[in-house]
Amino acid sequence: MGGLGVAVIGCGFISGVHLRAWKKIPDVKLLAVVDVIEGKAKKAAQDFDVPHRFTDYHKVLDMKDVEIVDICTPTYTHAEIAIAAAKNGKHVLVEKPIALKLREADEMIEAARKAGVKFMVAHCLRWWPEYVEAKQLVENGAIGEPRIARAYRHSSFPEWTFWHKDRRLSGGVFVDMSIHDVDYLRWVLGEVEEVYARGGVLKTPDSTSHDYTHAILKFRDGAIAYVEGSWIQPVGFPFSTYLEIVGTKGMLTVDSQSPASLRIYKPNMPPAIYTHFEEDAYDKEIRHFYECVSEDREPAVTGEEARKTLEVVLAAVKSVDSGRPVRLPLEGEVI
Amino acid sequence: MKKIRFAILSFAHVHAWSYARVLRQLTEAELVAIYDDDLERLKRAAELYGVKDTYADYRQLLKRNDVDAVIIASENAKHAELTIASAEAGKHIIVEKPLATTLEDAERMLKAVEKAGVKLQQAFVMRYHDATVAVKRMLDDGAAGKILAITTTNHGKFPGLWFDDPKLAGGGAVMDHTVHTTDLMRWYTGDEVEEVYASIGRNIRSVLRSEDCALISLKFRSGVIGSVDCSWSRHDSWPIWGDVYLAVFGTEGYIVVDAFRSCINLVSNGRPLTWHYFGPDADTNMIKDFVRAVLEDGQPRATGLDGYKALEVAIAAYESDRKNVPVKLPLR
Repeated sequence: MGGLGVAVIGCGFISGVHLRAWKKIPDVKLLAVVDVIEGKAKKAAQDFDVPHRFTDYHKVLDMKDVEIVDICTPTYTHAEIAIAAAKNGKHVLVEKPIALKLREADEMIEAARKAGVKFMVAHCLRWWPEYVEAKQLVENGAIGEPRIARAYRHSSFPEWTFWHKDRRLSGGVFVDMSIHDVDYLRWVLGEVEEVYARGGVLKTPDSTSHDYTHAILKFRDGAIAYVEGSWIQPVGFPFSTYLEIVGTKGMLTVDSQSPASLRIYKPNMPPAIYTHFEEDAYDKEIRHFYECVSEDREPAVTGEEARKTLEVVLAAVKSVDSGRPVRLPLEGEVI
Repeated sequence: MKKIRFAILSFAHVHAWSYARVLRQLTEAELVAIYDDDLERLKRAAELYGVKDTYADYRQLLKRNDVDAVIIASENAKHAELTIASAEAGKHIIVEKPLATTLEDAERMLKAVEKAGVKLQQAFVMRYHDATVAVKRMLDDGAAGKILAITTTNHGKFPGLWFDDPKLAGGGAVMDHTVHTTDLMRWYTGDEVEEVYASIGRNIRSVLRSEDCALISLKFRSGVIGSVDCSWSRHDSWPIWGDVYLAVFGTEGYIVVDAFRSCINLVSNGRPLTWHYFGPDADTNMIKDFVRAVLEDGQPRATGLDGYKALEVAIAAYESDRKNVPVKLPLR
């Protein structure tokens, strides 16, 4: 049996992670990489031994043997590329956030439905071993009913792109980064009913994107969560995450800076920290989507799921802007 | 050297027992009399700390000329009556937090203290923990540049007793746990809270008479963003009583204080794991500072006004949750 053909569009940071994961699936045929910057496409093609490279994504949509398109481009381009890919009968994996507008997310979902292709959004925490284990613990009743959560995601400003600084292109820290925690908390605690958030452009003068936001989420069953996203950490700050879930019978925490099974230190390098040794979260995520396509199964993070998560982070942006609590569902666009 | 002669008015709050211990250790202080409206508790405290002069009526105690100062550690709702009577009797005062359960009471207390010309220290012990003091010094030296945001938590186990009785406590976890870190944020920024939004719940212990948790979002006048996660969410077997945690985001740096996070894990004689606390004794530092303020006619580090401002945030949090809107300060 021949494997499915894959093209990866966008050759930035996360693209390298995806390409590495695709290479690990034995029967995948990695056929093409695309980047508007020719040098980036060329480097990716060389590094991962990919036969075709393009600067125009339409080229891979014309390739008959490309059955899966993996979209790793900046957020503001997701909708256009995903819709075009679906219309050309390609199965679509797209990085988070699904899009910056609910209307775009709806169009993406509809295009995939009409074309009958698989569509998944890469919310990687759904494969992150510690977070998956924590969810298992909650489901097994280890902490009773989960009622209060805290989640942080802290980093210095992502200086490696031009578009993170533009609110219309990235959505800001809460849309771009805290969306991970919001998606995870929705997965564990259920649907969000109301959001209050505070934040702004606190530190980054040439940015229109909010670089700090904290939000209070109220869930349908009364549980509450504090979610904080920061791009205002000092330069060189080790990217850090924290999760705490308190339940009626116990609590758990997951701290990326706490003791790990294995730490490796090298001169002038941040330590490599390993808390688990099985398959990497990204490898699992990519393999999951591949299996969903080849076995005709529904992916774990559908467009509808990702849209619900997007709606919550957009509500947070709206709350920051208006200074008021925002109830879901959202009416109208925010960014 | 002159000794300050103390009385303790009520052992209802658990901190009273620690203050009594400190008074017995300090050379510059002496515990001469105690009052409690719970006679069993009065007897227990008298025996534990070897105090001969016990009173079931605080008015009798306050008539004594040889008492210089009182520490008031009653139920929160009784702070006002005891503070006002003590001020009128000319005693210097340390009052447990929160200052009172209403802003009206708090105002009456501040007025009585001002009129009597006595010292009033709000027992914000977190201004006396070596780690939080070090942060104050660093921030004043510009170690983090300009402060942009501060995230705080004050979690604890449920203290039991009267703490969930709104009539005596004035509320629940919000009354108990909002004021410490709010005060630290005010101290660090030198700024006042302008707006409060809160979501309050009874999420962990459904049997309580009050709320047990809240998430609070703050805006200071200068634009600094703050937050407080205050709750009685720590379960009985958690390795420590709770936490006081602050993360300060500055233009030039990021500082995290986890004041009671010990580096010693201890399992002792078959008891469950604890994080063995061996750090600074903030209670001792606080009472020493109060004694200094009395002797030198200075001000204690946290005054009645500081107590008022922190209480105002807690009161505003209740109002915000009730109306589900951000609430502007000042309230009065």
